[in-house]
This record gives sequence, structure tokens and C-alpha cells, in this order.
Amino acid sequence: MQSTLTNEGLVAARSLSRTSLLAHLRAFWAVTWREWYHFVRYPTWVIAFVIWPILFPAMYIMGAFSLAGPQGTGITRFTEVTGTANYLGYIVVGTTVWMWANTMLWNTGLVLREERMRGTLESNWMSPTSRFFFVLGAGPVHAATMLMFVFATVVEFRLFFGTQFNANLGTLLVVALCSMPALYGLGFSFASLVITAREANTFVFLIRGLVMIFCGITYPLSVMPAWMQSVSTWLPPTIIIRAARAAALNNAPLSSLTSDLTLLLIHGAVWLSLGYILFTLIERSARRKGSLGSY
Amino acid sequence: MVHQDSSLARPSIRSHLRALWFITVNNWKHHWRYPLNAVSEVLQPLVWLAPVYFMGQAFSVNGKAEGFAGYAGTSDYMSFIILGTALSNFIMAVFWGMGFSLKWDMDGGVLEANWLAPLPRPLLLMGKTFSSVATTLITSLVMLGIAASIWGFHPTGNVLAAVLTVVPLLIGLYGFGFAFAALVLLLREANTLVDTGSFVVQLLAGANFPVNVLPKWLLPLSLALPLTYGFDAVRGWLLKTKTLLPLQTEIVILVVFMFLMIFLGLRAFNALERHVRRKGTVGQY
Repeated sequence: MQSTLTNEGLVAARSLSRTSLLAHLRAFWAVTWREWYHFVRYPTWVIAFVIWPILFPAMYIMGAFSLAGPQGTGITRFTEVTGTANYLGYIVVGTTVWMWANTMLWNTGLVLREERMRGTLESNWMSPTSRFFFVLGAGPVHAATMLMFVFATVVEFRLFFGTQFNANLGTLLVVALCSMPALYGLGFSFASLVITAREANTFVFLIRGLVMIFCGITYPLSVMPAWMQSVSTWLPPTIIIRAARAAALNNAPLSSLTSDLTLLLIHGAVWLSLGYILFTLIERSARRKGSLGSY
Repeated sequence: MVHQDSSLARPSIRSHLRALWFITVNNWKHHWRYPLNAVSEVLQPLVWLAPVYFMGQAFSVNGKAEGFAGYAGTSDYMSFIILGTALSNFIMAVFWGMGFSLKWDMDGGVLEANWLAPLPRPLLLMGKTFSSVATTLITSLVMLGIAASIWGFHPTGNVLAAVLTVVPLLIGLYGFGFAFAALVLLLREANTLVDTGSFVVQLLAGANFPVNVLPKWLLPLSLALPLTYGFDAVRGWLLKTKTLLPLQTEIVILVVFMFLMIFLGLRAFNALERHVRRKGTVGQY
């Protein structure tokens, strides 16, 4: 049978199944472009970009204003436990970093979920490209949009609340870069959950909420019970928020955050490996059961 | 034949009430058919309350928020927040439940069939309202019980007066829900509007803080919202907080709000009914 094939036929057959790193990178690039087109095609994101950076922290900020009191009596206690009287900056950095880390964490899983809802997951999965690169493709666009989001947050809080930042931008950038492997790793683990559980919304919400409680977005960890403090030290978002606060409010140099950054990189190595293994195993199992496209 | 025709086309108060009962039961069953969602509705506010509690701890000495008392008239920060969260559940129910009720029927392909039944159309939403009030009340009471056992809830005032104050507040809110359901049906893709709208309303009504801490440029918007006085009056009765206006004045505002919203809600709903009948778009999505 093989002898009847022409040379052209053989080349074509081989090119379809012959995946290389370059082919994977091309697929990754194509997914990135698709995500970008998808993003600019629905301009309602502008509303979200203008409103949410200020709306989400506003609930906590107004709460903090009321707790501080008309004469600022509550600020003394806050300064004692946090080491800063700039409670507005403390909350803004905490909530903004949480929103960023939160979307980084769940984005991978949500991309898969959207694909499944649109009915394109199965056909994309059949293409001879690495699933890992396929899922990773949404990352760059997401990172770019989140950068715009953070920029909008800073501008809006400077304008409307006169929030003071004393930021070391270089350190802040390194913190963000060192955070990514851990967040992507956790994101892959979550993506495995999306493949396994068809309706994961409630579960996702609870996990998301629990992470928000433990990582101290608007308060220092010292106000939590000891057992909660022990749990929170193991969560990458806790370390990210702590490091980002130091960089954005205290102009912390890179050298002062070495231990946090090392911890983040260790988390990154562990979670990325674990996430990759978990994702590969569960994806293979879903393919075997034929449950990829069902929801 | 004549008898059959007239029986089909002869709706009475009794048949309307029977239809209303079945619409309510239908929505009630639909709600409890997804128990995980019901559990989530109880847990979600609790998950949001936990960070608020810890933030309160960061400003409090020996569990007393003295700074907070300067604005609210009580240092019992958590009772203030828990009560606000329980009332906010109704805002969420109106925005998401009532707002999307017609849209979900449309997506489910049953709106056109329901629309053809020999019933006044507002009954469809009234049934939804009764069911929504009952399920949200149960959810809020369970949430309140759990929150009270974790963080403590200390109502020191007049419970009956607080409950009576909630009545016009809820009727007005659900009246607004009629108009909002009509708007969502016209817009079709209204997730951003509903998500942002419900958050803004909660923020401006002071669900989690006394509104007098709002910046000067936002305070007028908050004071223009009747819900603000509803939240304020209920807290005034139950927790003896400082109110923005005398309680009697706030109740008058709530009663006016109630009648106004019923009127506007029905007007908006009737306008929608005429619009979709003329365009023939009730079955499209």
C-alpha cells in the first residue's frame, strides 16, 4: 500500500503528523492571535477596565474609611498591626494584586471551559499540537490586558482618592515575573478540574473565596488565628501580595525580597510540574472516556 | 362547542390565583432542584464576610471598633455588616433572579408558550417574585444564623419595627425588578450591566459601611437612592445606629418608593409587552 504513494503524498502525510518545537510555537502564536482578536472583537471589556479596578476595592476602602473613624482613631491600631498608616495604599495594592493573581489562576481553566461551551474544544484537541502550548497560548494576551488593568487602577486611585504609592517599578516587575510560574502551575491544576467536573462553578467560587480569605488582601495575617496563618504561608498569592506591597508602597529594593522571590520560584517549579503532570493525566483520561466535548 | 370556547377564554380571579400559585410553585421547585446552587447562595455571602471581619479586626481594639462607632453610632461592626449582607441578598435576587427571569424563559424556549396563556402577563413575574422572596428569605436567615454563630450578631432594638420597615423596601425593590426584567429582555446580553449594576447599588446603598463615609462627589448619588434609607432605617430599628434622617421620614420615603416602583415597574413591563407583540420577537434570542 505504501509503495503506491507518491513522494508528494508521503511528504504531505508526514508533515501532518510530524510535530516539532517550531510547529508548537507556531500553534502557540496562532492561539495568542486568536485570543487577541477575540478580546478586541467584544469592546465591552472597556467598561470592565474602567469600572472594576475602582469598584471592587471600593467596598473595602469605604469599609476601611468607616473603621478609621472621623477622627482617625482606628488608624493607630492599623499602624500597630501592619507597620504602615497608609491603609488606602495597603488595601489598593492587596486587592489589585489579588484580582491579577486570581484571574491568572483561573484563566487557563476558564479558557478551556469557554472552548467546551462553544463546542470547539474537541476539534482543537484533534489538531497535532501540544495541548500544553494550546492552553498556554491565552497567557500573553491575558498578561497584557492585566497590565492595562493595573495601570488603570493606579491612575484611577491617584485621581479619585489621591492614593500615595512609593513604588520600585523594577522590583514590582520582577515580583510579577517570579509569580507567573506558580500561578500558571496552579492554573493548570485547576484546568484539570474543569476537564473532570462538568459544572465546576460552585467549587471554583468556593476555592477562590477561600484563597481570598487566607491571603490577606485587606489585612495583615497576624489578625487571623494561628492555624489560618500557617495555611496562608503556603499559598503563593500570600507571598505575592506581601512582596508587591513592599515594592509598591515602601520602595523595597530587590535585595530585600530575595527570600520571598526564592519561595515564589520554588512554588513555581513545584506547581508547574505538578500542574503539567495532572493536566496531562486527566486530559488523557478524558480523551479515553470521550468526555472532552460534553458539558 | 360554545361552552368549551367560553371555558377556555373565560379567565376569572380564581383562575388567575390558581395560575399564580402554579407559577410560584414552578419557580420554587426550580430553585430547589439545584441544591448546590442553594448552598452556594448561603456560602457566597459568608465567604465575602470573612475578609471584612478580619479587616475590622485590624482596626479594632478588644473587638470594639471605636473609629467605626464615630460614624455609625455603634461599635458592633459585624452586626452592622451581617445585617447589610442579609439585605443585599435581596438586591442580588432582584438583579440576577428577577432581571434574568424572562430572559431565561426566552432562552429555554418557553416564554412564547407562557405568553400565549390566557393570563395577565405580569402574573408571570409576580409568581417569580413570591418564590424569590421566599427562597431569598430562607437563604438569608440560614446565612444570618451561620454568620451569627461565627462572628456574633446582636440585635438590641425593635425586631418587629425592623421587619415592618423591610416590607415596603422589598415591595419597591421587586417593583424595580419588573422594569429591570423588561430591560434585560430587550438588551438580551446584559451580564455586564447586571453584574456592575448590582455591585454599584450595593455600594451606594451602604451594604457594608455607613454611607456618610462616601466621598462628597458620590454621596448625593447614594442619598438619591431610596434603598439607602431602607438599609439605614432597618439598622436604626434593629441595632440602634445613628440614622441619616429621622426614622419616620425614612419610612415615608420607603412607602413612596414602594408605590412609585410598582407603578414604574408595571408601566415598563406593559411597554415591553406591547413592543415584543408588535415586533413578534418574543420567541427570538
